Amino acid sequence: MSAGFDMELILSRPYLTRKQITRAQRNTIPDLRVYTQKKLQVLKYLSDLCVYMLLPRRTLETTIYYYDRYHLFNVFETEMVYPLATACLLLSCKQTETIKKLNEICITSFRVRKVPNVTTEMVEALRKRTLQLELRILEACSFDYRINNFLHIDECIVKAGKKISCSKEVCYTAWLIAYDVLKTDIMLVIPQHSIAVAVLKVAEDLLKTNNTAWNQDIYAELSTDIKSVSEAYFEVVNFYINMFDSCELRRNFVAPPSGPAPEITLKSFIDLKQEAGPEHGLDEVSNEMVDRDRLLAVDMHSQTVRERRHVLSRSLVIEEQKSLH
Amino acid sequence: MSSQFKQLEKLGNGTYATVYKGLNKTTGVYVALKEVKLDSEEGTPSTAIREISLMKELKHDNIVRLYDVIHTENKLTLVFEYMDNDLKKYMDSHTVGNTPAGLEMHLVKYFQWQLLEGLAFCHENKILHRDLKPQNLLINKRGQLKLGDFGLARAFGIPVNTFSSEVVTLWYRAPDVLMGSRTYTTSIDIWSCGCILAEMITGKPLFPGTNDEEQLKLIFDTMGTPSEASWPAVTQLPKYAASAQSFQQHPHAGKDMKQLLQAHCKETVDDVVINLLHGLLQLNPDMRLSAKQALHHTWFAEYYQRS
Repeated sequence: MSAGFDMELILSRPYLTRKQITRAQRNTIPDLRVYTQKKLQVLKYLSDLCVYMLLPRRTLETTIYYYDRYHLFNVFETEMVYPLATACLLLSCKQTETIKKLNEICITSFRVRKVPNVTTEMVEALRKRTLQLELRILEACSFDYRINNFLHIDECIVKAGKKISCSKEVCYTAWLIAYDVLKTDIMLVIPQHSIAVAVLKVAEDLLKTNNTAWNQDIYAELSTDIKSVSEAYFEVVNFYINMFDSCELRRNFVAPPSGPAPEITLKSFIDLKQEAGPEHGLDEVSNEMVDRDRLLAVDMHSQTVRERRHVLSRSLVIEEQKSLH
Repeated sequence: MSSQFKQLEKLGNGTYATVYKGLNKTTGVYVALKEVKLDSEEGTPSTAIREISLMKELKHDNIVRLYDVIHTENKLTLVFEYMDNDLKKYMDSHTVGNTPAGLEMHLVKYFQWQLLEGLAFCHENKILHRDLKPQNLLINKRGQLKLGDFGLARAFGIPVNTFSSEVVTLWYRAPDVLMGSRTYTTSIDIWSCGCILAEMITGKPLFPGTNDEEQLKLIFDTMGTPSEASWPAVTQLPKYAASAQSFQQHPHAGKDMKQLLQAHCKETVDDVVINLLHGLLQLNPDMRLSAKQALHHTWFAEYYQRS
């Protein structure tokens, strides 16, 4: 993405590998620990907003995807997180068809943050900031709404759970885990339906139900594959090992009345990881490919670029390339 | 406006955008450039978001392709496949003197086939169009017809409920929607297809109502009045009581559709197409054909037997 161009053609890539994400974040997030801590606050804020405005889980989930995606191409600024999270929610409401007026979102934003003496000027300022940020979020996603459109983790848990005859307890536990998943950035790597399957697998393993024979056929039936599910599985297990104290599962888990009724502790996840063996998941790209990847170094605010064209299909890019030569 | 696309003449105003003809300067391909007006109150219109999200998913010969989205400082432009005309303008150009005339029957059949092909693909992909009307059916010089303007479309899953009842332009709006049903599904688009089929035959809109009440009256006058027997649970619809006042005392079976259409058509309107029309225009949404079933109707035998 040289500064010499006045037009950029960007092929949408809604999912990136871990290495690619790390490289992109190197340009945008100076301290990942601060980012992670702040994200927990943001998730709490957004969850409160959603509860207050009766928005479903899918709206929250999509909001978090936008929030993480934005920070792949835009610098993380601590003082910006609330206007940004609000803009992500506005966009998510439109995307998931749970429309709310921007004014209502802004007023509720102040309310859930318990900001005293809110004036109309303050609401207006937040509204304007939100609109500016909305376009930047759209750009960070290459205007690609293929994701977050049909598939949402909580809905997929129910559908996949039914398909493989998981018990209600397993599905409920998976649903609790799916909330904690929002604290990770796995949605930037794996599509939601595969995350849902991984979460169901974690729930089954935790409750020791041994209900499902997790093999190729099952993954194929659920339109996923072992690599994607394993990637998400290890992400979830690692999250609990690292952040068990701040997880929602610990606070909300109810042991099933029948069966082995296990208690969920940090050790449960350490055991799961041990049983799962060496970490495996999606294939990684080489360092050289990451170095050459111009999308990961794109400056969305470059003044020299007059316009950006966002395309979904590689064939369109090839077609134009051919016409040029 | 764009370094890549040359903006040519204005083609029209859409629901939330202005559309221009454009030329891709690299490939020499004509495109339609839909300039989205960014709302100063609510930001990017949700209609634009819907259109982008749904149309990028839909790749079919009978659905207009969305190529890319261009973002400049303060403007959003959607780049669509270019089509020469729309069905409304095409039908308007078919007049005898000042009187609108229907299209030739073989063309009606070809257009209707393509409309149902595109719609079946949408429904297979769990997308309702919700705004089918001749203006949104684009055609080109090769006689291809494609569904466009997905600004009101939405994805559906199971269960389907609580959708907005403010969808589909009045003339093509299904009676269940007019009576306030919010649990409609693919049948809403099928009703519109029936209205469009009749309009292509006669050159005149089938039910040109000016408000909800008149729209329902026109429908019931032609198609007959509904009852619990012909349409179970019709009486439970939110606006049934209000609309039923006009027809409860004089229930009737409706008009002879063949006679009605024949009066405005030079060619013979055969029973087969009338049978299809009845399948599409069932008052009870559960009784309407699906797009796939309609494609297997005898009227289309020459197409499906060939493929």
